[in-house]
Amino acid sequence: MRRILIAIALCCGSAFSGHAQELQQILQVHADEVAKPSRRSVSVVLEDLVASGLPQVPVFLEKWSAKNVWQREDGVFFIATADGDDLKLQDIDTGGETSAPKSTFKQLKPNGGVRRVIGTALVQFQLSDPDLTRREAAVISIARRPDAAQLAPLVASIEDEPDPALKARKTQLANFLTARFGETPQDRIAAIESLSTDTSVEARSVLNQILTVKSGVSASEPEGNLARILDPSQAPDAFYPQLVEAGLAPAETTPAMIRAVLEANIDGGTVGGVPLAQLNSETARYRAYAALAREGLAPPLVTEDTREYTVGAYVFYELYDEEDPAITDAAATALASVEQRVAIAQTADLALDGLSLASIYFLAAIGLAITFGVMGVINMAHGEFIMMGAYTGYVVQLFVPDYTISILIALPLAFAVTFGAGVTMERLVIRHLYHRPLETLLATFGISIALQQLAKNIFGTQARPLTSPDWLDGAWVMSDVIQISYIRIAIFVLALIFLALILFVLKRTRLGLEVRAVTQNPGMAASMGINPDRINMLTFGLGSGIAGIAGVAIGLYAKVTSEMGSEYIVQSFMTVVVGGVGNVWGTLAGASMIGFLQKGIEWLNPSNTLAAQTYMILFIILFIQFRPKGIVAPKGRAAAD
Amino acid sequence: MNKSFIAQNPSVLWFLAALGLFTLAVTLLSEATGVGLISTSFVKTLGKTLCLCLIAIAMDVVWGYCGILSLGHFAFFGIGGYAVGMWLMYARTEGIVLESLSGQVIPPTPQEISDAIGNQIFGVVGSSDFPLIWAFADNLFLQLAMVVLIPGLLALVFGWLAFRSRVTGVYLSILTQAMTLALSLYLFQNDSGLRGNNGLSGLQNIPGFEATPQATISIVFFLVSALALGLGYVFFAWVISGKMGSVVKGIRDNEARVRFLGYHVESYKLFIFTITAIISGIAGALYYPQAGIINPGEIAPITSIYLAVWVAIGGRGRLYGAVIGAAFVSLLSSWFTGGGAPDINLGFYTIQWTDWWLVLLGLSFVAVTLFFPKGIGGLFDYLVRKPS
Amino acid sequence: MSMLLEVSGVTVTFDGFRAINNLSINFAEAELRAIIGPNGAGKTTFMDIVTGKTRPDEGHVIWGERNISLLGLSESKIAMEGIGRKFQKPTVFEAQTVRQNLAMALKTPRDPFAVLMHRKTAQNAERIEKIAEEIGLLNSLTRVAGELSHGQKQWLEIGMLLAQDPRLLLVDEPAAGMTVEEREKTTDILKRAAETRAVVVVEHDMEFVRRLDCKVTVLHEGAVLAEGSLDHVTSNQTVIDVYLGRGHA
Repeated sequence: MRRILIAIALCCGSAFSGHAQELQQILQVHADEVAKPSRRSVSVVLEDLVASGLPQVPVFLEKWSAKNVWQREDGVFFIATADGDDLKLQDIDTGGETSAPKSTFKQLKPNGGVRRVIGTALVQFQLSDPDLTRREAAVISIARRPDAAQLAPLVASIEDEPDPALKARKTQLANFLTARFGETPQDRIAAIESLSTDTSVEARSVLNQILTVKSGVSASEPEGNLARILDPSQAPDAFYPQLVEAGLAPAETTPAMIRAVLEANIDGGTVGGVPLAQLNSETARYRAYAALAREGLAPPLVTEDTREYTVGAYVFYELYDEEDPAITDAAATALASVEQRVAIAQTADLALDGLSLASIYFLAAIGLAITFGVMGVINMAHGEFIMMGAYTGYVVQLFVPDYTISILIALPLAFAVTFGAGVTMERLVIRHLYHRPLETLLATFGISIALQQLAKNIFGTQARPLTSPDWLDGAWVMSDVIQISYIRIAIFVLALIFLALILFVLKRTRLGLEVRAVTQNPGMAASMGINPDRINMLTFGLGSGIAGIAGVAIGLYAKVTSEMGSEYIVQSFMTVVVGGVGNVWGTLAGASMIGFLQKGIEWLNPSNTLAAQTYMILFIILFIQFRPKGIVAPKGRAAAD
Repeated sequence: MNKSFIAQNPSVLWFLAALGLFTLAVTLLSEATGVGLISTSFVKTLGKTLCLCLIAIAMDVVWGYCGILSLGHFAFFGIGGYAVGMWLMYARTEGIVLESLSGQVIPPTPQEISDAIGNQIFGVVGSSDFPLIWAFADNLFLQLAMVVLIPGLLALVFGWLAFRSRVTGVYLSILTQAMTLALSLYLFQNDSGLRGNNGLSGLQNIPGFEATPQATISIVFFLVSALALGLGYVFFAWVISGKMGSVVKGIRDNEARVRFLGYHVESYKLFIFTITAIISGIAGALYYPQAGIINPGEIAPITSIYLAVWVAIGGRGRLYGAVIGAAFVSLLSSWFTGGGAPDINLGFYTIQWTDWWLVLLGLSFVAVTLFFPKGIGGLFDYLVRKPS
Repeated sequence: MSMLLEVSGVTVTFDGFRAINNLSINFAEAELRAIIGPNGAGKTTFMDIVTGKTRPDEGHVIWGERNISLLGLSESKIAMEGIGRKFQKPTVFEAQTVRQNLAMALKTPRDPFAVLMHRKTAQNAERIEKIAEEIGLLNSLTRVAGELSHGQKQWLEIGMLLAQDPRLLLVDEPAAGMTVEEREKTTDILKRAAETRAVVVVEHDMEFVRRLDCKVTVLHEGAVLAEGSLDHVTSNQTVIDVYLGRGHA
């Protein structure tokens, strides 16, 4: 009865919608395959669905795949969502909504394999969906799980793609797919060759997938597309387990196994005729074991010699999964060319990293260089001024929530705060210790301990955030290999600005002139009416103020803690010492050298940054042997003192 | 000669007398004699303090007398500690391993023993193989030789490089600090072969003396430390008296002048740098069995700077000043940071010394540098000069 | 007479400035010589070169009978070869006593272990006292050098030079800041010293040079301008122009 009603309803529906075929009808034709799909049977359904060209198809496929299609007792399919004990039903063709108790429906639960097949079919619709975001999603899903079946629809959708960016992406993806799944070897080789200039991670993975190998072992050289024959004599220990696994050789006899066998065969104080007390050496144990083996109480002893001999009797090889050698050859050639390009790009990336590290060191050290160069004063509290600047930035952000504005306030404020601190320190302490550099070093160290602990008491021991504005988030991506975060670019720009500013102040202003005069000959400068006290105070303030700004910059990408200063102080000193005292260019050279070198050493030994720092310092100690006065050495009679 | 050396330096006699009395008093009042007025842990603290005094006089010789502000002597101290710690740890682990293996029916092979010891010691850094530097760890005498040899050689090589290229003053200080930093960073790595940041532990257990109570062990180490301090004091007093002292102080005051007098200044600096490094290593070798644990943090550059702080507060250029400074500041430090000092309630804020001690120390250090460059030892001048 | 020290064709440049310009100058044994010249004439740099503090860009410095080149030797080696130097500013070890200062300078083995094991001997004590007497500080042997007057410090430094027993003594402005009597005494000490060794005095003060009564070399712009007796050089027109004329103007 019900069935008849439905049949009528269906007929009416079809009458209203003209003579177009209805989805439900097609589904009913394959009702069994739809209700209980298997990977094989579902493709028939899908073919018909795709062939129908009905607009409802993609929605249905999505819902089906998402387990949102239910079948009524009478076999009719609905899109439905559970709502308590009821189901909210939606007609597959008209979209009309109704509600019914759940008990009379059965949910369709296609398994994972089926869902993947459905997904592939769905992608074809999505690839030409009018909605751009859906098309993009489809492309992303293909890229994530490339499949031979997607190649044709993807290629077909390229021509009508209106969005130029997406069109390019589709073309690229189609190329990747052709390389792996193209119909003729010629197509594939052409696609592979076109990849030889593409350094993206994706292209490299395509090539690597073509070149995947299976390793194996056999008595003679194997059939197939041979990648390489391995030489087992280099490391018999590593190859022997392969033989064991392939069932070609008995398992190794480890010392633990020997021990277990011996323990199991103790016979009245002896094992295999050897007294227990003598079994404290390996040779005695071998002897006992060999005796047991002769009696058949233990498997034969596999010694190192037998192992090496057995390994030598077999061929260890790697076979390409891909059978056509022309294709693997092309892929190998393309990969080699890509890798060469990647290496070049990595060098460029490393150089960028080095540059940004150098800018940080420059910012951290330039203040120190000024005070050290002009006044001969080593300021051990310089690191704490950096910290003070970073905390200033943090406090400003507590009051000014807008990150852009807060950074713009924090930079001058940090300068002001640390300038003030520097001037105070100069007035109260350093002024009394001129010409006693070692004492100055220690007194400023005392200040450094006190400031660090003070910061700990005020701000606590955990790291405080100094958040950068949105426009500094992210990175400038030049390729998959070369990229640099905007913060580091900003720090680089800041370093450049400071370099220019300091050069301007020192070379072009009255203050700079006086500073240089005091540096060269304080006595003469004083007699010319320059007040060295004032110059020293200002210089020290300037050096400290720059440390404050460096603190804000460093705080943006590193954590703000009370100990952050001490992490930079030794590197800063190194920068100044390596660069040459009292010279802005020297500091720049020192910072560049240390920055690039550190990155270089890290690159050689990427797993271990501690070792990199150790080698770095050792290098600096040696460097000082050859250029005790630094890269840009002071010249003339002043240098002789 | 010896007579005139002591006669020239009456302070040596005074110091030895004071040290003797102090040692006697502590020994009599310790738990080892049954009196127990001084706890074992405090005896250990005092013993450690004596070792710190020993490295402090070494620092005073190299800085106060020779003018080299080394920020690296704690590295030598640490190396001494590591050298002796390797033997302590190896021998103790070997004892434990042998005992646990002795229950088995089949006696263990040397390889099995070595593997088990390696597993015990290096399991914590995910390894079980003995690194090359442990080659002599099973031999106490060779390892004790390392206490002297490694700091000595390191100082010799580093000093030769640095002094040869005429690195002086603050440059040299920074360079020594870099050396210390490099060493501590190296030791922080897990594959340094010295258990990374775990360091060596359990050093208070002396192999072969498992049955001896810690009270006795602590007093023995205390006495040995006192003896080492006494000998070190006399040795350094002898070195810096007479003509050697003249030259060394001359280098401190005017290096170029000494050079033009025909002295090869670099050799003298190297000599002083190396012997003080060796004494520092010995001090460390005595310190860490009392501390029980050594890790790379002990070698961090900051500790060497504290050493300079002690010597400066005690008074540079006089050996007893260094002893006073090291003892005074390090004991005060452990009193304040150990929560021994009462908090001060200001009503609106409570000063907790664990938080504020470092601020106080830092500022008082500035004050000493500014106002009392002669340190606490300077007070003695005042006392001695007043009656005359 | 063979030459004790031969300096020939020496040139030194600091940052493009020629402090010494193709300088050639010789000293005989047991000679007293005064070197005069205006500021920047290269007097101090000349001493720096001879004592090993500064390396010249070119030229030769040959020493003694064995004709050793002093270039490339360290300061201490040169000092041990027998060249003593007194600085312009009195540089004695102020924290140490006069006796210690002299003892340090005394010609004894200089290597660290010999010094460490050094024992005081009656012979050395006698020498110290003899030198102290010579420089008039016999009664001040136990005083700390820092307490001495300016003139006494200068003498102590000359005493230290004598204790080194050098064959060539380079003395930089010994009379600076001295009273008239002190100058006379200084002249006597230097003259006596020059009886047994070469003494080279760099001086500004014409009166003092006159009192020394010795051969005079005039340096100007890093080269020898004139050489001879004081009267001879002071009558040289060029010398008058570049130095005396300016000095007396």
